[in-house]
Amino acid sequence: MPHRELTHYAVSVVGADRTGIVAGVTEALYKLGCNIADSSCAMLAGEFAMILIVSHKKPFTKALLIEELKPVCEQMAMTLSVRHLPQGEEDRKETPGEICQITVYGADQPGIVYRVTSTLAARQINIMDLQTKLAGTEQEPVYIMLLEAVLPDGLAPEAVEQILDGLKQELQVEISVRIVTPVEL
Amino acid sequence: MAVQPILKYPHPLLKKMAHPVAVLDAAIHTLVQDLLDTMYAGPGSVGVAAPQIGVGLRVCVVDVSNSRHGKDNNHGQLCMVNPEIISRSGNAVMREGCMSVPDYTGDVERATEITVRFLNSETGQEREIVATGFEAVAIQHEMDHLDGLLFLDRVMSISTGLFRRKQYR
Repeated sequence: MPHRELTHYAVSVVGADRTGIVAGVTEALYKLGCNIADSSCAMLAGEFAMILIVSHKKPFTKALLIEELKPVCEQMAMTLSVRHLPQGEEDRKETPGEICQITVYGADQPGIVYRVTSTLAARQINIMDLQTKLAGTEQEPVYIMLLEAVLPDGLAPEAVEQILDGLKQELQVEISVRIVTPVEL
Repeated sequence: MAVQPILKYPHPLLKKMAHPVAVLDAAIHTLVQDLLDTMYAGPGSVGVAAPQIGVGLRVCVVDVSNSRHGKDNNHGQLCMVNPEIISRSGNAVMREGCMSVPDYTGDVERATEITVRFLNSETGQEREIVATGFEAVAIQHEMDHLDGLLFLDRVMSISTGLFRRKQYR
Protein backbone atom coordinates (compact mmCIF):
# COMPACT_ATOMS: atom_id res chain seq x y z
CA MET A 1 0.00 0.00 0.00
CA PRO A 2 1.40 3.44 -0.88
CA HIS A 3 2.67 5.31 2.15
CA ARG A 4 0.42 8.30 1.68
CA GLU A 5 -2.60 6.11 2.32
CA LEU A 6 -1.16 5.08 5.67
CA THR A 7 -0.85 6.84 8.96
CA HIS A 8 1.97 5.88 11.33
CA TYR A 9 2.40 5.82 15.11
CA ALA A 10 5.26 5.17 17.49
CA VAL A 11 4.04 2.92 20.28
CA SER A 12 5.97 1.92 23.35
CA VAL A 13 4.91 -0.48 26.05
CA VAL A 14 7.03 -1.12 29.16
CA GLY A 15 6.38 -3.11 32.28
CA ALA A 16 7.43 -5.95 34.56
CA ASP A 17 8.09 -9.01 32.44
CA ARG A 18 5.49 -11.73 32.26
CA THR A 19 4.22 -14.22 29.72
CA GLY A 20 1.88 -12.90 27.06
CA ILE A 21 2.87 -9.24 26.74
CA VAL A 22 3.73 -9.40 23.04
CA ALA A 23 0.75 -11.63 22.33
CA GLY A 24 -1.62 -9.26 24.17
CA VAL A 25 -0.37 -6.10 22.49
CA THR A 26 -0.15 -7.57 19.02
CA GLU A 27 -3.60 -9.14 19.31
CA ALA A 28 -5.07 -5.69 19.94
CA LEU A 29 -3.11 -4.26 17.01
CA TYR A 30 -4.16 -7.09 14.73
CA LYS A 31 -7.84 -6.71 15.61
CA LEU A 32 -7.58 -3.00 14.88
CA GLY A 33 -6.11 -3.71 11.45
CA CYS A 34 -2.75 -2.18 12.30
CA ASN A 35 0.50 -3.30 10.67
CA ILE A 36 3.73 -3.56 12.63
CA ALA A 37 6.15 -1.87 10.29
CA ASP A 38 9.21 -2.01 12.49
CA SER A 39 9.73 -3.15 16.04
CA SER A 40 12.23 -3.99 18.69
CA CYS A 41 11.50 -5.65 22.01
CA ALA A 42 13.94 -6.39 24.76
CA MET A 43 14.28 -7.42 28.37
CA LEU A 44 15.94 -4.61 30.26
CA ALA A 45 16.65 -5.77 33.79
CA GLY A 46 13.30 -7.29 34.81
CA GLU A 47 11.29 -5.03 32.52
CA PHE A 48 10.03 -5.99 29.13
CA ALA A 49 10.08 -3.11 26.67
CA MET A 50 8.36 -2.96 23.30
CA ILE A 51 8.93 -0.22 20.76
CA LEU A 52 6.88 -0.43 17.61
CA ILE A 53 6.15 1.64 14.56
CA VAL A 54 2.64 0.71 13.53
CA SER A 55 0.68 1.82 10.51
CA HIS A 56 -3.00 1.86 9.66
CA LYS A 57 -4.93 2.76 6.55
CA LYS A 58 -6.37 6.27 6.72
CA PRO A 59 -8.70 7.41 8.18
CA PHE A 60 -7.56 6.36 11.63
CA THR A 61 -6.85 8.18 14.85
CA LYS A 62 -4.49 8.02 17.77
CA ALA A 63 -7.53 7.95 20.06
CA LEU A 64 -8.77 4.73 18.44
CA LEU A 65 -5.37 3.14 18.87
CA ILE A 66 -5.15 4.12 22.53
CA GLU A 67 -8.71 3.00 23.20
CA GLU A 68 -7.80 -0.58 22.23
CA LEU A 69 -4.29 -0.73 23.67
CA LYS A 70 -4.99 0.93 27.01
CA PRO A 71 -7.11 -1.85 28.55
CA VAL A 72 -4.59 -4.49 27.46
CA CYS A 73 -1.70 -2.54 28.97
CA GLU A 74 -3.58 -1.70 32.16
CA GLN A 75 -4.48 -5.32 32.67
CA MET A 76 -0.78 -6.25 32.53
CA ALA A 77 0.35 -3.16 34.45
CA MET A 78 2.35 -1.83 31.51
CA THR A 79 2.91 1.82 30.69
CA LEU A 80 1.78 2.82 27.23
CA SER A 81 2.80 5.73 25.07
CA VAL A 82 1.59 6.54 21.57
CA ARG A 83 2.79 9.27 19.25
CA HIS A 84 1.52 10.09 15.79
CA LEU A 85 4.32 10.35 13.23
CA PRO A 86 4.16 13.29 10.86
CA GLN A 87 4.31 12.37 7.17
CA GLY A 88 7.90 11.74 6.12
CA GLU A 89 9.11 10.66 9.55
CA GLU A 90 8.10 7.01 9.17
CA ASP A 91 10.86 5.96 6.78
CA ARG A 92 14.38 5.17 7.80
CA LYS A 93 16.64 7.66 6.09
CA GLU A 94 19.22 6.33 3.66
CA THR A 95 22.57 5.91 5.35
CA PRO A 96 25.26 6.39 2.73
CA GLY A 97 28.28 6.36 5.08
CA GLU A 98 30.26 3.47 6.54
CA ILE A 99 28.55 1.66 9.39
CA CYS A 100 30.70 0.96 12.42
CA GLN A 101 30.17 -1.26 15.38
CA ILE A 102 31.78 0.24 18.44
CA THR A 103 32.34 -1.86 21.54
CA VAL A 104 33.17 -0.21 24.83
CA TYR A 105 33.73 -2.06 28.08
CA GLY A 106 35.47 -1.53 31.35
CA ALA A 107 35.10 -1.11 35.09
CA ASP A 108 31.72 0.49 35.76
CA GLN A 109 31.80 4.22 36.38
CA PRO A 110 29.46 7.13 35.81
CA GLY A 111 29.46 8.74 32.41
CA ILE A 112 30.65 6.01 30.04
CA VAL A 113 27.64 6.28 27.74
CA TYR A 114 27.51 10.05 27.94
CA ARG A 115 31.21 10.61 27.26
CA VAL A 116 31.37 8.21 24.34
CA THR A 117 28.16 9.32 22.66
CA SER A 118 28.81 13.03 23.07
CA THR A 119 32.23 12.56 21.49
CA LEU A 120 30.57 10.81 18.57
CA ALA A 121 27.79 13.39 18.26
CA ALA A 122 30.33 16.22 18.13
CA ARG A 123 31.76 14.57 14.98
CA GLN A 124 28.32 14.12 13.40
CA ILE A 125 28.51 10.36 13.89
CA ASN A 126 24.91 9.18 14.07
CA ILE A 127 23.99 6.31 16.39
CA MET A 128 21.56 3.75 14.92
CA ASP A 129 21.59 1.14 17.61
CA LEU A 130 22.85 1.06 21.16
CA GLN A 131 22.70 -1.49 23.93
CA THR A 132 24.30 -1.47 27.33
CA LYS A 133 24.55 -4.01 30.11
CA LEU A 134 25.94 -4.06 33.57
CA ALA A 135 27.83 -7.32 33.96
CA GLY A 136 30.63 -8.67 36.12
CA THR A 137 30.20 -9.11 39.85
CA GLU A 138 28.75 -6.86 42.52
CA GLN A 139 32.27 -6.18 43.81
CA GLU A 140 33.68 -5.55 40.35
CA PRO A 141 30.91 -4.43 38.03
CA VAL A 142 31.78 -4.25 34.36
CA TYR A 143 29.96 -1.96 32.00
CA ILE A 144 29.48 -3.10 28.42
CA MET A 145 28.20 -0.93 25.60
CA LEU A 146 27.69 -2.03 22.04
CA LEU A 147 26.61 0.51 19.47
CA GLU A 148 26.30 0.93 15.75
CA ALA A 149 26.79 4.25 14.09
CA VAL A 150 26.93 5.78 10.64
CA LEU A 151 30.04 7.74 9.83
CA PRO A 152 29.72 11.00 7.94
CA ASP A 153 31.22 11.00 4.46
CA GLY A 154 34.99 11.05 4.45
CA LEU A 155 35.47 9.84 8.01
CA ALA A 156 37.41 6.57 8.11
CA PRO A 157 36.87 3.97 10.85
CA GLU A 158 40.53 4.35 11.89
CA ALA A 159 39.79 8.01 12.51
CA VAL A 160 36.97 7.01 14.86
CA GLU A 161 39.40 4.93 16.91
CA GLN A 162 41.68 7.95 17.12
CA ILE A 163 38.79 10.20 18.13
CA LEU A 164 37.92 7.80 20.94
CA ASP A 165 41.51 7.12 21.96
CA GLY A 166 41.60 9.96 24.48
CA LEU A 167 38.54 8.55 26.25
CA LYS A 168 40.08 5.10 26.30
CA GLN A 169 42.99 6.48 28.32
CA GLU A 170 40.91 8.76 30.49
CA LEU A 171 38.17 6.27 31.42
CA GLN A 172 40.49 3.24 31.34
CA VAL A 173 38.03 1.32 29.15
CA GLU A 174 38.50 -0.86 26.11
CA ILE A 175 37.17 0.61 22.89
CA SER A 176 37.19 -1.13 19.56
CA VAL A 177 35.75 -0.12 16.22
CA ARG A 178 34.98 -2.42 13.32
CA ILE A 179 33.25 -1.84 10.02
CA VAL A 180 29.99 -3.70 9.59
CA THR A 181 28.85 -2.02 6.38
CA PRO A 182 26.84 -4.70 4.58
CA VAL A 183 28.30 -6.48 1.57
CA GLU A 184 25.96 -7.07 -1.36
CA LEU A 185 26.26 -10.63 -2.57
CA MET B 1 23.41 -12.52 -23.60
CA ALA B 2 20.96 -10.88 -21.33
CA VAL B 3 20.54 -9.38 -17.93
CA GLN B 4 17.83 -11.39 -16.22
CA PRO B 5 15.47 -10.16 -13.54
CA ILE B 6 16.47 -11.32 -10.06
CA LEU B 7 13.83 -13.39 -8.30
CA LYS B 8 12.93 -12.10 -4.89
CA TYR B 9 11.87 -14.05 -1.86
CA PRO B 10 9.14 -15.41 -1.38
CA HIS B 11 9.52 -16.85 -4.87
CA PRO B 12 9.39 -20.63 -4.23
CA LEU B 13 12.37 -21.47 -6.46
CA LEU B 14 14.69 -19.67 -4.03
CA LYS B 15 13.89 -22.27 -1.37
CA LYS B 16 14.33 -25.32 -3.62
CA MET B 17 17.33 -27.59 -3.97
CA ALA B 18 18.88 -27.04 -7.42
CA HIS B 19 19.67 -30.02 -9.69
CA PRO B 20 23.16 -30.97 -10.81
CA VAL B 21 24.06 -30.17 -14.41
CA ALA B 22 24.30 -33.40 -16.43
CA VAL B 23 25.76 -32.09 -19.69
CA LEU B 24 27.69 -28.91 -20.41
CA ASP B 25 25.77 -27.89 -23.50
CA ALA B 26 24.89 -24.63 -25.23
CA ALA B 27 22.03 -24.02 -22.81
CA ILE B 28 24.48 -24.03 -19.90
CA HIS B 29 26.77 -21.61 -21.73
CA THR B 30 23.83 -19.27 -22.26
CA LEU B 31 22.89 -19.64 -18.60
CA VAL B 32 26.43 -18.79 -17.48
CA GLN B 33 26.47 -15.75 -19.77
CA ASP B 34 23.11 -14.61 -18.37
CA LEU B 35 24.44 -15.02 -14.83
CA LEU B 36 27.54 -12.98 -15.67
CA ASP B 37 25.52 -10.25 -17.37
CA THR B 38 23.13 -10.10 -14.43
CA MET B 39 25.96 -10.03 -11.89
CA TYR B 40 27.86 -7.23 -13.62
CA ALA B 41 24.63 -5.26 -14.05
CA GLY B 42 23.76 -5.46 -10.34
CA PRO B 43 24.91 -2.57 -8.20
CA GLY B 44 28.02 -3.83 -6.42
CA SER B 45 26.98 -7.43 -6.91
CA VAL B 46 29.76 -10.01 -6.66
CA GLY B 47 27.82 -13.15 -7.46
CA VAL B 48 24.62 -14.65 -8.81
CA ALA B 49 23.31 -18.20 -8.60
CA ALA B 50 21.08 -19.81 -11.25
CA PRO B 51 18.02 -20.14 -8.97
CA GLN B 52 18.09 -16.35 -8.55
CA ILE B 53 17.29 -15.95 -12.23
CA GLY B 54 14.75 -18.73 -12.25
CA VAL B 55 16.87 -21.73 -13.22
CA GLY B 56 17.00 -24.63 -10.78
CA LEU B 57 20.47 -25.86 -11.73
CA ARG B 58 23.69 -26.00 -9.73
CA VAL B 59 25.46 -23.16 -11.49
CA CYS B 60 26.74 -19.89 -10.06
CA VAL B 61 29.15 -17.11 -10.90
CA VAL B 62 31.35 -15.11 -8.55
CA ASP B 63 33.71 -12.22 -9.17
CA VAL B 64 34.96 -10.19 -6.23
CA SER B 65 37.84 -8.57 -8.12
CA ASN B 66 36.04 -5.23 -8.41
CA SER B 67 34.92 -5.09 -4.79
CA ARG B 68 36.81 -3.33 -2.06
CA HIS B 69 36.88 -6.39 0.18
CA GLY B 70 38.04 -8.78 -2.48
CA LYS B 71 40.11 -6.78 -4.95
CA ASP B 72 43.47 -7.89 -3.55
CA ASN B 73 42.61 -11.52 -3.00
CA ASN B 74 40.62 -13.36 -5.65
CA HIS B 75 40.55 -15.77 -8.55
CA GLY B 76 38.91 -13.29 -10.90
CA GLN B 77 35.79 -14.43 -12.67
CA LEU B 78 34.57 -17.84 -11.51
CA CYS B 79 31.91 -19.68 -13.48
CA MET B 80 31.09 -22.72 -11.41
CA VAL B 81 29.07 -25.72 -12.48
CA ASN B 82 28.18 -28.35 -9.87
CA PRO B 83 30.42 -26.73 -7.24
CA GLU B 84 31.22 -28.64 -4.06
CA ILE B 85 32.99 -27.46 -0.96
CA ILE B 86 35.65 -30.05 -0.17
CA SER B 87 36.89 -28.48 3.03
CA ARG B 88 36.37 -25.42 5.12
CA SER B 89 38.13 -23.78 8.04
CA GLY B 90 38.09 -20.68 10.16
CA ASN B 91 35.09 -18.48 10.69
CA ALA B 92 34.24 -14.82 10.54
CA VAL B 93 31.11 -12.74 10.61
CA MET B 94 30.08 -10.38 7.85
CA ARG B 95 26.91 -8.38 7.43
CA GLU B 96 25.40 -9.68 4.23
CA GLY B 97 22.79 -8.39 1.88
CA CYS B 98 21.28 -10.20 -1.10
CA MET B 99 19.54 -9.02 -4.26
CA SER B 100 16.85 -11.65 -3.62
CA VAL B 101 16.10 -10.19 -0.18
CA PRO B 102 15.95 -6.42 -0.69
CA ASP B 103 16.10 -3.94 2.19
CA TYR B 104 17.44 -6.31 4.78
CA THR B 105 20.93 -7.16 5.93
CA GLY B 106 22.10 -9.53 8.62
CA ASP B 107 25.22 -10.86 10.29
CA VAL B 108 26.24 -14.27 9.01
CA GLU B 109 29.11 -16.46 10.15
CA ARG B 110 30.97 -18.29 7.40
CA ALA B 111 34.22 -20.17 6.89
CA THR B 112 37.17 -17.95 6.05
CA GLU B 113 38.93 -20.53 3.91
CA ILE B 114 37.31 -23.08 1.63
CA THR B 115 38.45 -25.55 -0.98
CA VAL B 116 35.92 -25.70 -3.80
CA ARG B 117 35.77 -28.20 -6.64
CA PHE B 118 33.67 -27.42 -9.69
CA LEU B 119 33.44 -27.81 -13.43
CA ASN B 120 34.72 -24.84 -15.33
CA SER B 121 31.84 -23.93 -17.62
CA GLU B 122 34.18 -22.85 -20.43
CA THR B 123 36.55 -25.79 -20.57
CA GLY B 124 34.48 -28.51 -18.97
CA GLN B 125 37.56 -29.28 -16.88
CA GLU B 126 37.34 -29.99 -13.20
CA ARG B 127 38.99 -27.26 -11.19
CA GLU B 128 39.84 -26.96 -7.53
CA ILE B 129 40.61 -23.67 -5.84
CA VAL B 130 41.33 -22.50 -2.33
CA ALA B 131 39.39 -19.31 -1.70
CA THR B 132 39.88 -17.12 1.34
CA GLY B 133 38.42 -13.96 2.81
CA PHE B 134 35.63 -12.19 0.99
CA GLU B 135 35.82 -14.47 -2.04
CA ALA B 136 35.22 -17.46 0.24
CA VAL B 137 32.21 -15.69 1.77
CA ALA B 138 30.79 -14.85 -1.65
CA ILE B 139 31.18 -18.43 -2.91
CA GLN B 140 29.47 -19.83 0.19
CA HIS B 141 26.62 -17.32 -0.15
CA GLU B 142 26.05 -18.20 -3.83
CA MET B 143 26.38 -21.93 -3.20
CA ASP B 144 23.76 -21.65 -0.46
CA HIS B 145 21.33 -20.55 -3.18
CA LEU B 146 21.91 -23.92 -4.87
CA ASP B 147 20.70 -25.63 -1.69
CA GLY B 148 17.64 -23.41 -1.32
CA LEU B 149 19.21 -21.43 1.49
CA LEU B 150 19.11 -17.66 1.89
CA PHE B 151 21.33 -15.68 4.23
CA LEU B 152 18.17 -15.29 6.33
CA ASP B 153 18.55 -18.97 7.19
CA ARG B 154 21.92 -18.20 8.72
CA VAL B 155 21.45 -14.80 10.30
CA MET B 156 22.57 -14.45 13.86
CA SER B 157 21.64 -11.58 16.12
CA ILE B 158 24.37 -9.12 16.97
CA SER B 159 23.49 -9.36 20.62
CA THR B 160 23.46 -13.14 20.84
CA GLY B 161 25.97 -14.39 23.32
CA LEU B 162 27.16 -11.11 24.67
CA PHE B 163 23.98 -10.07 26.47
CA ARG B 164 22.30 -13.38 27.12
CA ARG B 165 23.70 -14.66 30.34
CA LYS B 166 22.88 -12.10 32.99
CA GLN B 167 20.45 -13.36 35.60
CA TYR B 168 18.33 -10.89 37.53
CA ARG B 169 17.15 -11.71 40.98
